[in-house]
Amino acid sequence: MSVSSPTTNHSTGVSDSGRWSAKRIAVYALFVALTIVLSFVEFPILPGVQWLKYDPSGIVALVAGFAYGPAAAAIVSVLGFVPHVFTDPWGAAMAILVSLALSLPAALVYKRNRTRTGAVIGIIVGAVVAVVAAIGGNLVVSPFYFNMPVSAVVPMIVPILLPFNIIKMAIHGVVTFLIYKPISNLLDKRA
Amino acid sequence: MTSPAISEADSPAIRLSGIRFRYHDSAAWALDGIDLTVRHGEYVCVVGANGSGKSTLALIMAGLAAPDEGTVELLGHRVFDDAGAHPDEYRAARHGIGMVFQNPEDQIVTTVLADDVAFGPENLGMARPDIVRHVDAALDAVDMAGHAPDDPTRMSGGQQQRSAIAGMLAMDPRLLILDEPTAMLDTVARADIMRILDTLHARGTTIVHITHSPDEAHRGTRVVEIANGHAVGDETIIPMSHGRAAAKDADGADGGSSSLPSDIATDGGATDGTEPTEPTEHAEHADPVIAVRDLSFAYTSGEPVLSGFNLDVRAGETVALVGRNGAGKSTLARLVCALGKPQSGTITVHDIDTVRAGKRERKELRRHVGYVMQHPERQLFADTVREDVAYGPRNQELPADEVNRRVDEALDLLGIAHLADRSPFDLSGGQQRLAAIAGVIACRPDVLVMDEPTASLDARATARIRDLIRTLHARGVTIMLITHAREELALADRVVDLSRSAAPRPEAAAGRRTTGMREMRETHETHERDRADAVSRMDPRVKMALTLLLMFSAFAISDVWQLLAGAALVGAAIAVARINPLRLLGTVHPFLALFAVTGAANVFFVRTGTPVWSFGPVTITDDGLWTMVIYVLRFALVILLGAVFLTRTTPTQMTDAFESLLSPLARLGVHTHELSLVMSLALRFIPTLTGEARAVADAQAARGGGIETGSPMQRARAMGAIVVPVFAGTLRHADNLSRALDARCYEGGSGRTHYRVMAVGARDVAAMLVVAVYLGTLVALAFIR
Repeated sequence: MSVSSPTTNHSTGVSDSGRWSAKRIAVYALFVALTIVLSFVEFPILPGVQWLKYDPSGIVALVAGFAYGPAAAAIVSVLGFVPHVFTDPWGAAMAILVSLALSLPAALVYKRNRTRTGAVIGIIVGAVVAVVAAIGGNLVVSPFYFNMPVSAVVPMIVPILLPFNIIKMAIHGVVTFLIYKPISNLLDKRA
Repeated sequence: MTSPAISEADSPAIRLSGIRFRYHDSAAWALDGIDLTVRHGEYVCVVGANGSGKSTLALIMAGLAAPDEGTVELLGHRVFDDAGAHPDEYRAARHGIGMVFQNPEDQIVTTVLADDVAFGPENLGMARPDIVRHVDAALDAVDMAGHAPDDPTRMSGGQQQRSAIAGMLAMDPRLLILDEPTAMLDTVARADIMRILDTLHARGTTIVHITHSPDEAHRGTRVVEIANGHAVGDETIIPMSHGRAAAKDADGADGGSSSLPSDIATDGGATDGTEPTEPTEHAEHADPVIAVRDLSFAYTSGEPVLSGFNLDVRAGETVALVGRNGAGKSTLARLVCALGKPQSGTITVHDIDTVRAGKRERKELRRHVGYVMQHPERQLFADTVREDVAYGPRNQELPADEVNRRVDEALDLLGIAHLADRSPFDLSGGQQRLAAIAGVIACRPDVLVMDEPTASLDARATARIRDLIRTLHARGVTIMLITHAREELALADRVVDLSRSAAPRPEAAAGRRTTGMREMRETHETHERDRADAVSRMDPRVKMALTLLLMFSAFAISDVWQLLAGAALVGAAIAVARINPLRLLGTVHPFLALFAVTGAANVFFVRTGTPVWSFGPVTITDDGLWTMVIYVLRFALVILLGAVFLTRTTPTQMTDAFESLLSPLARLGVHTHELSLVMSLALRFIPTLTGEARAVADAQAARGGGIETGSPMQRARAMGAIVVPVFAGTLRHADNLSRALDARCYEGGSGRTHYRVMAVGARDVAAMLVVAVYLGTLVALAFIR
């Protein structure tokens, strides 16, 4: 994924004057759309814990970060969950936080080391930050969300929050790693 | 600086000389020394095979791509020469050039037709009254004036393509370039487009029409033929008289209504409960391989795609399914492959009841039935063609040498053995199609369902696929072939016309999108029908800000009186918005059910307060119950507020409000205009991507790849086989969209004008006062307590 920005050769130079080219806007828009679509494909992964659901949208933010840099990861993470603000405000805030925590560090690491190893290290660093952010976020949000004191949330960390987030990040990481090569072929072809 | 307009009157519309163009990953020239001049008022048709370079030429003529070598003059502007590209000249030339692309859907930028058509004029910085005039005139010119408030993403392909033309006409182009605008349309829609082009030409617009249809090419005044990057022919056509043009229209329309040659018997899959007719020569195979009985299916209730449909397909038979767009052909194909459940009726394939099949039976069915979806190349995912083709056989858990044998056999059958180690994404469109079909054939299905396998394919690949159908037929494979091509009917033993049996449906394209976001869709329909209520007419900025304020403040509710105040406010909002409360509850009930469950779980975590009930280590306290009640009810208020907002605000208004509310951040250097355009385009592409993701998941499921079963690693692989093609589709749409944005002269937010104006009125001020009083009450109640 050796593409630094969504630009193209055979350029007429017209879009260089605008702040973002049409190409960049189109790529961001489609990645955001894909995040939104995948964010609705959610299912519980821990039996009995219905309010924590896995959805594959984090993969899009990771790929966006690898392909187009940290700014793209941030835009996809934030805009991808805006539609959820009106159905589940705290859930949306949490999803944005976790997606940023995963994709930003991953994109930053990969920016310095553009290899398969760099991608793996990026994913691992991102996953660790994201798990910490998810648990911290849960402690802050749960009092509003569940009308439940922080003291009631703490006992849930080890049996529920930690395994859920580790499984979630593992799925994100493994799938991203598996699709890395074909997708970089695709992106290189379009460079 | 050159002054652009000096010679515009006497210079030609387009002058190309010595044009060479090469893609970065290719050694061969896509265009190699093209000289071409198009005079003002000409109607030039450019013909050539797939890959001849004609689309590249179109982009150069539209000023959307620069060549590697040569000189390009567009509308009197010398935009490219030995010194390279001249951006200012390009910009000036483009303002007079319109371009319409092949894929109608990817040219739509928003979900209200009038707003979509206004996008170009806004980019040109036209004054608002001019925009209104141009939008109206453009919609009129393509017969779409009655659809101004409708959602173009839900229109038929023909209407979408007419909308795309309107989007260009609104910018007053002197030169209009169309790249295979009818390739994805049925005959009736094609005739509409051709008639519109005739009218525009008669009005003096210069037209360049890229097409591979000889019939369409002869509508022009001149035909230029491109082959292997060279112009090999240039023929001037004697202009047709008006009378002849009209006669041609009538022919085109006729061709649409009955596209079947009369010598082939058709049978209409009886709808009235009678059994399908039994051709006598097949009588010896008494048991059909596919038996469809009394099948009914609807994506949206009340709009059946299939109703009371019957069909028998016997072993070894090839049956062609024909019928107009939306007649239910693809739906039938999916149901036969057990990729969906009908509302009523049964489908039996190899004695397996697809409707009631359990996991194991379904797996068994997948071994028998191969499914080649529409545009199967969209399901390619692996590093190499070989890996991709091996996906199905591997899912059947065959030994490695058997997998290899099947892969080699399938590649040979499709004549692509030499491509085995290439990345599928490096192949041409036709080669990709063959590779994807090989991936289905490698599963050795004895029933093969093919959905338009040769659509928009060039002659060579088409011939290859028809050969394959003959070979498989000779081997005794039962084939169900959905097609629009008359030539393919000769491959079939029998033709079934679904138009005769399906219930009439209003608009073809709409029904196909069964998105996972049904609420959003319903929301859409509701606000299209009824916009008279006060909430719909609020300023979207005020509405959005107040909604968010109310939603977040609801989480501060912690006693009965506050809860009552909140309920009163939400009730009032629902009443003022004139929403049927039951309907609203219907859209949010999945959330409410979820809260009830999590709320109940909460009860066990709260240990404070007086115990009400206890059993061993579990104690339920009055505090716990109160926590649950508050949690469930205040969350219900939040969700209802969100639902009222979503039901009574169009996506366009939402993004306008989003941009406006973000605008203070622009001072901090945040690209707020661009971000809101990204958001708006993203919302518009949701149904497209949802439909595609679903199609890919179906196609991979038909090859035995499912994320529901198998070891974690198998599931992850199965997910990859879905996610990679979905990404590929995402990037393809992004490419098309970026060209469409360029063609509409999008050059960033500066200098844009606005078609819609937002204004804060008395209604909005009243709403703000009500909210202020409510919030004051909440605070006061908190202190009284």
